[in-house]
Amino acid sequence: MTALPPPSARFFDEAVETMPRGALRDHQEALLLELLPHAYEHAPLVRHAWDAAGVHPRDVRDLDDFCALAPFVSKDAIRRYRDGSTDPFGGVLAVPLAELTAVMSTSGTTGDPTLVPEQWGRGRGPAALSRDFWGMGVRPGDHVALVLFTFRGPTYGFVQGMGGIPVLFDFDPAEMERFCEASLEYRPTGLYNFGSALIRAVADACDRRGFDPVDVFSSYRGVVFAGEPLGRRSRELAEAWGIELFEHTGVGDVTYAFECGEHDGLHFWEDTVFVECLTPDGDEPVADGGRGELVATTLFNRVAPFVRFRSDDLVRVTRAPCACGRTHARLWPIGRKSDEVVVDGRSVLPVDVWDAIESVDASAAGLFQVVRSSTTADRLQLRVGYAPQFATRLDAVADEVRDAVVAAVGVDVAVELVPDDALLRLGPPHKIPRVAGA
Amino acid sequence: MSGVWGVGCYDDGARRVAWPVSTDEMDRDLGAGARRIGALGIGAGDRVLICSMLSEAAQHWPLIVGVMLSGAQLSCADSTAAEATRVAMFLRRLPYDAVLGVGPALLDGLEALGHDPAAVFASVRVVGAHPGASDRLRALGVPVHDVALCGPALAIAPTPGAPAAVDTDEWTLDAHDGRIVVSSLRPRAHPFVRTPTAIRGAVVDGGVVPESPSRG
Repeated sequence: MTALPPPSARFFDEAVETMPRGALRDHQEALLLELLPHAYEHAPLVRHAWDAAGVHPRDVRDLDDFCALAPFVSKDAIRRYRDGSTDPFGGVLAVPLAELTAVMSTSGTTGDPTLVPEQWGRGRGPAALSRDFWGMGVRPGDHVALVLFTFRGPTYGFVQGMGGIPVLFDFDPAEMERFCEASLEYRPTGLYNFGSALIRAVADACDRRGFDPVDVFSSYRGVVFAGEPLGRRSRELAEAWGIELFEHTGVGDVTYAFECGEHDGLHFWEDTVFVECLTPDGDEPVADGGRGELVATTLFNRVAPFVRFRSDDLVRVTRAPCACGRTHARLWPIGRKSDEVVVDGRSVLPVDVWDAIESVDASAAGLFQVVRSSTTADRLQLRVGYAPQFATRLDAVADEVRDAVVAAVGVDVAVELVPDDALLRLGPPHKIPRVAGA
Repeated sequence: MSGVWGVGCYDDGARRVAWPVSTDEMDRDLGAGARRIGALGIGAGDRVLICSMLSEAAQHWPLIVGVMLSGAQLSCADSTAAEATRVAMFLRRLPYDAVLGVGPALLDGLEALGHDPAAVFASVRVVGAHPGASDRLRALGVPVHDVALCGPALAIAPTPGAPAAVDTDEWTLDAHDGRIVVSSLRPRAHPFVRTPTAIRGAVVDGGVVPESPSRG
């Protein structure tokens, strides 16, 4: 294990986290130029895409060449390659199958989960999660509550790797009573991972058992939420309990991004990924801070090298300095490009109706889906979950939801109500598909 | 002094209890995990899917390490109904030699998706299932190794039909009023003395023959 910094250190890996941007770009370029020939030689989908574009890694001498010449891949391209061949990895596997240690999978929110090949102990990249949790205030010897699932593998290793002690929970509202008890007993300093359904379950557990939620969370220096945005209602509840929330999101199935203590965007570690923000329907770079599609290229993963992966995620990206002192870029998630529906000429993403739906007591859990048969519609159709105690007044609930959403987005809205449980079953546990076919 | 590996959880039949595990305990358990994987005939070139929950990681980490040490490849999924999609995807896309930890919720999920569990597991050499799932799979003709979380001790039958065995260097099982109780034999941060578990059944040759919850 790499030596840990002293507890008083502000950064886990100061030399990397505060690397001047010029040096960071040189570092990225060196990593990329080393990775590209390997990806081209060994990942069939990469080779297929580059050959089709008439480009070879030797044509790429620097990052500018890469941005000008390298073709894209997408999740659809991976699925197409997988379904049109005998390769279950969709052409991204770049080492012999027999050399894998593990085969994990993506969350599968937008379709069948896809396989994630792994080779433990080699080429896993820097201990980047440790940088984020150190920045939140977690230190060696601290307990860290992990409220997660197993499909990513044994995630507790990163806590142990930074000298912490994981306290383990399932990502399940039924666990929240035990979570409260353990928080009061072990006084963890970090929590990974929370969401609206769990926040509401904690509130219920505290009501039922007489816990003071402020006390439950008094030891936490940071609580990470991910998977889905937190609506205003959940955020206000958490903040009333004294929780400092840190948003976390994936970066194009390549790595992830975390908020720092400034809460002004989510840093992604640029020694692990090269990120471009491009026009969603083209390949033009978007100006710093503008809205575009996130395109990610791994700088360390030689097992499944994603090269210019169009993530479908709409984001804003800035490389401007952050007040936290880190030099790595930041992003702000907006939503999925493919989740957009244009209603009566107006673009609507799930995030645009989230707060409105959560503002109604019956649908405060924020469980809903946009139902559509195409990307354009005359009317916005929503399937909205309601809590069981409201089952006797559904007509009134539908009116309340409709009024709130109309006020938020200004388009005609049709509301179908279903029990919360019916939507939660659509999992994975930390998020549900936010767009469904009609 | 030994450090703390983590705080897991065990079920005493009435509630789920936080369970601190020291690094010394875990180091001992890792050896047993490797032996159990070997006893199931799993080795280099095989692929193993472990279905479990994160709260059960203290019981399953030795098994995971055992898979890694054996040279087999590892996949993981939660043992919930919602994860049936993932489990079906794994088994459709890749050959698996072992699937351990199939529970009743996962079977419910497979059936809700329209899958025949017998067909899903047909080509899997070692299927380990918890009470509530094992009888259902047997009724479908699937040879099943009984798996039972006896509180902190994970019991796995080395062969179909055999009692599910715990690491007898560390744990001893008894039955009390039809419920399995567990005791620890070596120093533990959290000692167990005839601690009740959620498992009902009988103890045979030191292992457990679990009773199906539906018949309990």
